[in-house]
Parts: sequence; structure tokens; C-alpha cells
Amino acid sequence: MKRLIGSILLLLLISCYLWSCEKDDLCPSTTPTTPSLIIRFYNTNNHASLKTVTDMKVFMEDRDTITLGSRDSIALPLRTDGTSTRWGIMYNRGTTSVVNDIDYLEFKYTTREEYVSRACGYKVLFTLNNDTNSNPNPVITDNSAESHLWIDEYEVLNTNIENENAAHVKIYF
Amino acid sequence: MLRSIFSLLLFVSFSVYSQGSDSKAGKTLPAATIKDTLPALPVKSDRYGLRVGVDVYRLGRSLFDEGYRGIELVGDYRLTKKIYAAAELGNLKYTVDDTQVNFTTNGSYIKIGFDYNAYQNWLDMENMIYAGVRYGFSNFSQKLNSYRVYQNSTLDDTNINIIPSNYLDEVTVQADKDFSGLSAHWVELVGGAKAELFDNLFLGVSVRINVLITDKKPADFDNLFIPGFNRTYDGNFGVGLNYTLSYFIPLYKKQASKTEVKKEVQK
Repeated sequence: MKRLIGSILLLLLISCYLWSCEKDDLCPSTTPTTPSLIIRFYNTNNHASLKTVTDMKVFMEDRDTITLGSRDSIALPLRTDGTSTRWGIMYNRGTTSVVNDIDYLEFKYTTREEYVSRACGYKVLFTLNNDTNSNPNPVITDNSAESHLWIDEYEVLNTNIENENAAHVKIYF
Repeated sequence: MLRSIFSLLLFVSFSVYSQGSDSKAGKTLPAATIKDTLPALPVKSDRYGLRVGVDVYRLGRSLFDEGYRGIELVGDYRLTKKIYAAAELGNLKYTVDDTQVNFTTNGSYIKIGFDYNAYQNWLDMENMIYAGVRYGFSNFSQKLNSYRVYQNSTLDDTNINIIPSNYLDEVTVQADKDFSGLSAHWVELVGGAKAELFDNLFLGVSVRINVLITDKKPADFDNLFIPGFNRTYDGNFGVGLNYTLSYFIPLYKKQASKTEVKKEVQK
């Protein structure tokens, strides 16, 4: 009898506990969600060696500029509510004084959503459009005030942007 | 959250109330009196019959919660002195607004099983403190109303004065996708109490722990809520409660067997 009342109380406690944590679950950062596009920078003269972009800054037009610092790789988020995203990448090409050089990269893609979990909801995966001579992807354009691109070449390694485990695009400069 | 606090209060207030009525009934016949009057004790008989009722929690919530429309009918039938066959039948349409997803679950369910009454009643009282099991089945549909795309678009600025935040705006998609023909099977462990308020009118409360056996999931979505089973948690378990008002329809009486009477005399 006592045991029964005890077990009912326990049942009650457990259910009250579960009831109260209904909205507390957060999406864990280890769960793969919408991936960003990963770019690694390489040396034009030696395609095998990584090269650091000095004082890199990235921005989308009409938005804040993010100072990333000197690094040889970036993860750029793509818009999930469109089929193209244009990023400006600024590189300080000066050796003694600061000479900022902006190139724009426009990525064109298709999206598809995939269910993850209650806490994470849905993620969006991207497939980059094929890169052809008539329709290059990404489209690299120069800043109107400048006369030359700092990016020499690019190579798309993986058109399916489904995770952030490896680089999707290589850029040579 | 407010809603859950309210339901908890409702729940607690009832448990206090039911305990009160139990102890009151107990006081009218203290143990000593029974011992004194034992020789004149009338032949003890138990009433058998069908008890039918409705879950007042679901009815009440349907009134004040716009996104909730549910009803649950309950019934039990006394098989032996302590064992009752029990069932619940319900229908629910419920819109869940979570941080990442907003969806509407709509469907019907049935639960059948047994209750074991562990409460030793005084004389002809018919209160219950019981444990039970149920098999549950639900047929339902899910409608995904909208969802937010989960995207971490934080870029690490080297300026430590800038608090990292998402670079891109959060995107909410109005999906309006229907997933029908879904089903689920589960098992429930039940604990509860029933107290007779007036003649044949019972107030009952039960809490349940549910274990999902199998469910048919929608393509590219999940059963985050199942009518009858309630919210699904990781590891296929869930919890439930009901809060019933039911009426006992007596069908026949059965005398307690002689050995049983003897046993009580010996006590």
C-alpha cells in the first residue's frame, strides 16, 4: 500500500518535471544545421600551398563589414531565402602601407530544406549551379573604383553544400 | 508555461481535495467501532458495474486555450474485487507553437487496459488508489504551419567589442504542409485515484508514463505530438494526465465470499 502511494507520487513527480521542461530544449551546437560555404585560399604560383589573406574583411552590400583578420580560410553563410548570395571580400595587398582591394563573389545555387529535430527545426542545404564558361559560378567582379582583381583563379571542389567538414571552393591569389 | 502551472495547480488542488474526502469518510467509522459491531455486521457485498465519465481537464482547456480542442471519454468495468477493465477514447486538435516549428496535430485515440485497485475500502466504500496498464493507439494527421530555418551565420569579428551575432536575418517559412494517415502504438503505465463525491459520482485523477512502441512518421518531419500520447521526448517516452468526473452505473451485486468474511473477522 505504502509502496503503491510512493510509486504514484514518483510517477507524479517525474511527469511534473517533464511537463515543466517543455520549452527548455535548445539546439545543441554540435548538431549539423544549415552549412556555410567554406573557402580556402591558396597560392597562385603553388597550387598546393595555403596562403594567408592579410587583414581580410567580408561584407554583404548594405550590411556591416566583418573584420576577420589574417587567415587562409573562411566560412561564409549563404542566404536561405534566395538563390544567390553576393559577398565582398577585402584584402590588404599592401606590404608597407594599407592597400585595400575588394573583389565580389556571387554564388548561385538551389536550396532544399531538411528536418533536423524539434529544437533545431529545419536546415537548408545548397547545391551550387554548374560552373560553365557562359555561366560562371561564382561570378567574380571587381569593385568599380579598382582596376584589377586580386583573385586570380577559383576551383569548385564540391557543389553540394551539405556540411562544413571540408572546403567547397578553392581560391588562388 | 503559464498553462502548465495552471494545470499543475488544478492537479494539486484536486489531490488535496480527494485526500480530504477520504479521511473524512474514514473518521466516521473508526477501527474501534467496527471491531465492536463485528458480530452484527451485515453480509458484505460488492457492487459491480460500469463507470463512465469525461476528462474535465481537456474540456476545460478547450474552453480557454484557443489552439486546443480536445475531449476524452473514460470508462471502466469491474471484473473482480480488485481488477477493472478500463478504456479511454479521445479526440484532439492541438496547435503547438515551438521556437523552431509551428504545427497542428489532429486525430483520435483509444486506450484499453486494466486497473488494479490497491485501496482497502471500509465497508461499502468504493474509492480507488490504483495502478494500471494501457495499450494506446492513435490515428492522426500533422500540419506543418511554419518553421524557422536554423542557420548559424555568425562571423567572428576580431574586434572584441563586437558581440557575435547572426549576420543574416532569420528566415521563417510558411510551409502549410499536410501529413495525413499517420498512426502510433504505445503502452502506458497508469497511477491514480478515484473518490466517490456523492452517490455514484466519482472524481478521478491519473498520471501516465507512456512508452512509444512504433509510429508512422511524416516524410521530412516528425511526430512531435501525438493525440493521446502527448508530446514526444527523446527515447520514445511521454507523459500524460487526466482528471475525470464519472458516474457509476451499478449492474449487479456480488457477496464477498465466506472465506473473505472470515478473514476479516479474524482481523
